[in-house]
Amino acid sequence: MCVFSGLSSQICTFYQKGFCAYGSRCRYQHIKPSQSQSFTPSSSTSSQQTPVSDPSCTSSSGVALVPGALTELSASGRTSVLPKQPVWKKKYDQHEFLEDEDVGEPTSLRPADHPICSFAAAGDCPRGEKCPHIHGDLCPTCGKRCLHPFRPEEKEEHLKMCEKKQKHLEALQHSQEIECSVCLERVLSKPTAAERKFGLMSECDHPFCISCIRNWRNSSPTSGLDVNSALRACPICRKLSYFVVPSVIWYTTKEEKQEIVDSYKSKLKSIDCKHFDFGNGNCPFGTSCFYKHMVRPGSYVWKYHRPPPRRPTPRRSDAVDNMEQAVDLDTIIEMGDLLEDLMDCYIPGEDDLDFDEDIDPLNNLSHFEMAFILSQMGTNEIDSSSDDDIVSGEALPYMWQYNKSCMANGTPIGPKLLLGSSDTPRMR
Amino acid sequence: MIDFARVQKELQECGKDVEGSGIRVAPKSDATLARLVGTIPGPIGTPYEGGVFQIDITLPDGYPFEPPKMQFSTKVWHPNISSQSGAICLDILKDQWSPALTLKTALLSVQALLSAPEPDDPQDAVVAKQYLKDYQTFISTARYWTETFAKTSSRGIEEKVQKLVEMGFPEAQARTTLESVGGDENLALEKLCSG
Repeated sequence: MCVFSGLSSQICTFYQKGFCAYGSRCRYQHIKPSQSQSFTPSSSTSSQQTPVSDPSCTSSSGVALVPGALTELSASGRTSVLPKQPVWKKKYDQHEFLEDEDVGEPTSLRPADHPICSFAAAGDCPRGEKCPHIHGDLCPTCGKRCLHPFRPEEKEEHLKMCEKKQKHLEALQHSQEIECSVCLERVLSKPTAAERKFGLMSECDHPFCISCIRNWRNSSPTSGLDVNSALRACPICRKLSYFVVPSVIWYTTKEEKQEIVDSYKSKLKSIDCKHFDFGNGNCPFGTSCFYKHMVRPGSYVWKYHRPPPRRPTPRRSDAVDNMEQAVDLDTIIEMGDLLEDLMDCYIPGEDDLDFDEDIDPLNNLSHFEMAFILSQMGTNEIDSSSDDDIVSGEALPYMWQYNKSCMANGTPIGPKLLLGSSDTPRMR
Repeated sequence: MIDFARVQKELQECGKDVEGSGIRVAPKSDATLARLVGTIPGPIGTPYEGGVFQIDITLPDGYPFEPPKMQFSTKVWHPNISSQSGAICLDILKDQWSPALTLKTALLSVQALLSAPEPDDPQDAVVAKQYLKDYQTFISTARYWTETFAKTSSRGIEEKVQKLVEMGFPEAQARTTLESVGGDENLALEKLCSG
């Protein structure tokens, strides 16, 4: 019996660590770590004093034989005597439920502050019904018990995210089956990641891989194929599409397609247009341009409220036929993609970087990369000497001229790229 | 660079449906897939019915972004096919080509051309003129050419030519004489001897 009273003055380390297998029947004091410092001295003094002076302590040690009586007794009498109530008593009720709960501040925990059982959230809790932790509610989408019953915002967020992920996954699965009508292969089974993208035609719904459709649209018109009637048309239905949008998934509804197109356009919209050049250049696409037209204070547009005059085309009578080469909107967009890719290379780890800032992708490029981009556009010879006053420094050393016939139709598409020393034959 | 993976796939696809379409495509040799031979049956209800026509196919470097080059190696009497060279005048093999077309669909189009001649846009002016001015003669000539050059029985013509060559006649002359008498060996010999 005295053994009990002696032991009860010692603190249960298991309880402090968070779990005591004896629970309320433990011989040692169940004290929270935070309380132990202030409480321990008083308890130790009381236990030392017990045999000597304190009458209440003798009674307590006496009743230690009968734990049930002790509870009532100490509940009525001890509270006033001791500065603090013994923890093992005070915590009695909660202890049952929170056996291995974090003992930090068990009383102050609101249900929302309790973490949910991670085993259950991951799919299966071996303790099942006996698990002392809260088991989250079942998420209908992912089928896991990961919804916190007391955190509505978190629940909402998870449901939304889960649904979105699920939708994406389904779309991706569906996309796996889609074959490109040009290479006759499954687009998402192509060897390199760059190839595993669809090219969405703006005007029809026929699937192609981005490389095939761009190859087709950029293919040289030597074989007598007309740019407007053949190359820009869908290879299957021959419907004219003015631009092609890259996408990693194939859509099933009009809305999904619109979403993909919109997000692509908004991405481009955040990149400064190289031709507009902050108001100093002349963008052939005008207001229809997919890229951002931001007027910088002090630029030409800022001062005169109109685009700078176009330089007369440097036509050389003998080389006229060899100088023109048509470039369509795709090529420009493709160039944008390329810039993005290069940007990614330049700023690793800053994927979510907002291009809204005054970051000039082109200024980040070396001459080599510029040459690469231009070669992508179907030429590898650049004559920058004659265009100095239009573009400066690192900006694109070529100039644009409206395709008159296209302008007459009201379409901003179909500018012709004039290359000073390109020897590509003029297209028919 | 030719997309050989695609060509391979096309050959497989075409092989699956030989019964249905009657169209065959096979590589000319094992060495390359860039040169192929296509075979189409003459459409029923036309003077080409019953004939089997061979078409030489050469794939350009840009295939499938450039149209395949096709040419009849079997002689055909048709306004849009050269009676001399076998060259085909068909838009999808030129400016209306699309990479979504395949060798099989292109051959199907050629087959369709056989049943629907376009004499106003001729490849062979002589044939087209005959087609417009003397349709009956055109029909009989086309049928005769089919009988002579596109029938499996006429495959033996090479042997007959060979025989005549062995007899001492020049090959070209032997061939044209054989063609002119409709493949009859004896008639040809008679004609050749008579000068």
